[in-house]
Amino acid sequence: MLGSLIDSFALILAPLAFFMLFLGTFLGVTVGAVPGLSGSMLIALTLPLTYYMTPLNAVLLLIGMYVGSIAGGLISATLLRMPGTAAAVMTTFDGYPMARSGRPGRALGLGIMASLIGGLVSWVSLIALAEPLSRWAMQFGPFEYFSLVMMALVLMASVSQGSMVKGLLSGFLGILIAMPGVDLSAGQPRLTWDWYMLNSGLKLLPVLLGVFVVSQIIKDILEIDQKFTRLEMNNSGILMTLRDIRRQAGNLVRSSVIGTVIGILPGVGANIGSLVAYTTAKNMSATPEKFGTGHEDGIVASETANNATVGGALIPLIAMGIPGSVIDVFLISALMIHSIQPGPLLFTNNPDLVWAMMTGFLVANVLMFAIMVLSARYLSRLMYVPRSYVMPVVTTFCIVGAYALDNTMWDVWVMLGFGVLGFFMTRAQIPLGPFIIGFILAPLAEQKLRTGLMATAGDFTPMFTRPISATFLAITVILLFWPLINDWRRGRS
Amino acid sequence: MQSRPDPVLDIALAVFLIAIAAAFLWETRNIPPGIFEPLGSAPVPQATASVLILLCLAVLLRALMRLRRGDDPVPPSHTESKDDGVVAPENPLAVIATGILTVAYVLALSARVADFALVTTVFLFALIAILARFERRALVLAAIIAVAMGYGCQYVFTEIFVVDLPSGQG
Repeated sequence: MLGSLIDSFALILAPLAFFMLFLGTFLGVTVGAVPGLSGSMLIALTLPLTYYMTPLNAVLLLIGMYVGSIAGGLISATLLRMPGTAAAVMTTFDGYPMARSGRPGRALGLGIMASLIGGLVSWVSLIALAEPLSRWAMQFGPFEYFSLVMMALVLMASVSQGSMVKGLLSGFLGILIAMPGVDLSAGQPRLTWDWYMLNSGLKLLPVLLGVFVVSQIIKDILEIDQKFTRLEMNNSGILMTLRDIRRQAGNLVRSSVIGTVIGILPGVGANIGSLVAYTTAKNMSATPEKFGTGHEDGIVASETANNATVGGALIPLIAMGIPGSVIDVFLISALMIHSIQPGPLLFTNNPDLVWAMMTGFLVANVLMFAIMVLSARYLSRLMYVPRSYVMPVVTTFCIVGAYALDNTMWDVWVMLGFGVLGFFMTRAQIPLGPFIIGFILAPLAEQKLRTGLMATAGDFTPMFTRPISATFLAITVILLFWPLINDWRRGRS
Repeated sequence: MQSRPDPVLDIALAVFLIAIAAAFLWETRNIPPGIFEPLGSAPVPQATASVLILLCLAVLLRALMRLRRGDDPVPPSHTESKDDGVVAPENPLAVIATGILTVAYVLALSARVADFALVTTVFLFALIAILARFERRALVLAAIIAVAMGYGCQYVFTEIFVVDLPSGQG
């Protein structure tokens, strides 16, 4: 393991690879800091460009963006009370009041250091768990994989904001939309309505761009008249002292562990991690009443956990090919673009790449820290760039990105259609995460189910009798009925 | 404040998704049964579409009940608060204008009425000007951004990424 780790450092410190990582982290931090733009948007827009890169450079660029954007959301969350990313929502509760009380540098400094520590702790977990977990996942047969995908989908739906029914609806819609096209098992097109454009199905990139980017553009343009109150940024207190770190040690470790564990859960991302860590810190605090008024513990808990989920989320991606969060879907897409199948065989087939991904995550965290400390003051000015300039440019990039996929306008129309659908889904509080997880995992789930049934001559029983598959299914059922069980328990008490 | 979606939107979306799922279900009739495998190509889409219809019906029923009770929707973007420094009024006209311009832009590219660079420059200038409400300073900036993006994108995508962008051969 140590040898692989050292080799991977040599790989990512090559000039071009390191530049890609730096560029990704810088762009991630920048975009994360601008309200209305998000890491998902940036990564979705960058995906078409990764066709022209080596797999290593592509993955390093995207990992840098992932780490940078989650941390960059801290800037607008603190100075505007507008989380640049959903992951920074909890940071607004204490970051903004502290910034308004004249300590914006201190608020940002706490968040930046907490992000770094969260990232480092989750990196240790990534290194320690990914390989053993992938060895364990090698025992998975088709039924285990099918059950795992179902569990990921239901888990994502159950923790999504709003009703669980809407979360499931979103997931099943994603699965259905993935169905048209040539059925690989039968070798024949299905659900195409004799429309040749659907023979290759609805491609991932236009759907991703539509659902995540175009829908957000529509929302941002709808709110184009939004006005922000300017807060003057200063760098006073931007670096946490050793005394601060000692005082926050318990909170840092606890929130890192919470973030990492929640990140590992398939489909559950940084926003849930920071929510749970913040609530836990508040419940365990001797002064819970201070939370929400500019309390340091609140900023530290939220920012530590949201960055820790990134490393945690990479664990199921690398070990099992299951996205740990929505942004991981983009990483999976980038790997698939280069004909690399994420999953347990990644360590066997592409060991250099997988170790470079993990090391890249560590270096991206360090770069994120340096970029944010050195440039937070300047990045904060980007928050006030009017949307009337930004949104048309992003729209153009989306259209070019979708077109460039196959040089066809069909993909552009698909993207626009899914953008409108995504906008109305968001407005109706139907979460988009389960949709995209369903869309990307549906072909895998169906293929595994059909392979399993071929092996058992159509017998479903092994799905319920094989221990791992049965465990996944049991968790799925519990998650499905958890809201009902909760209601019943509340009624009894 | 916890926002609550408009029940009318829930109903419209549920009906739309039921129609989509029903279309999928109808189309599965044309899928032949599996020859070498027990499941075949049809059951998974059939099951998925059926579950989707059930979930949509649940959303529909709940929305109808809320509508009957006369619950007032709280818009999701209702974040107005002077103290917070965040005011989010909505501007549907801006969305409609953007939608019309974007569709016109894509149609112009499809019809190859002019080079990608020219069409993009015109699109960007018009859109920024509209969104910035034709402020004089914004018009200058819009022109600079539009030309830089239009011709910059054309150069980068055709020369570096070797993408065959639409050209004016219509």
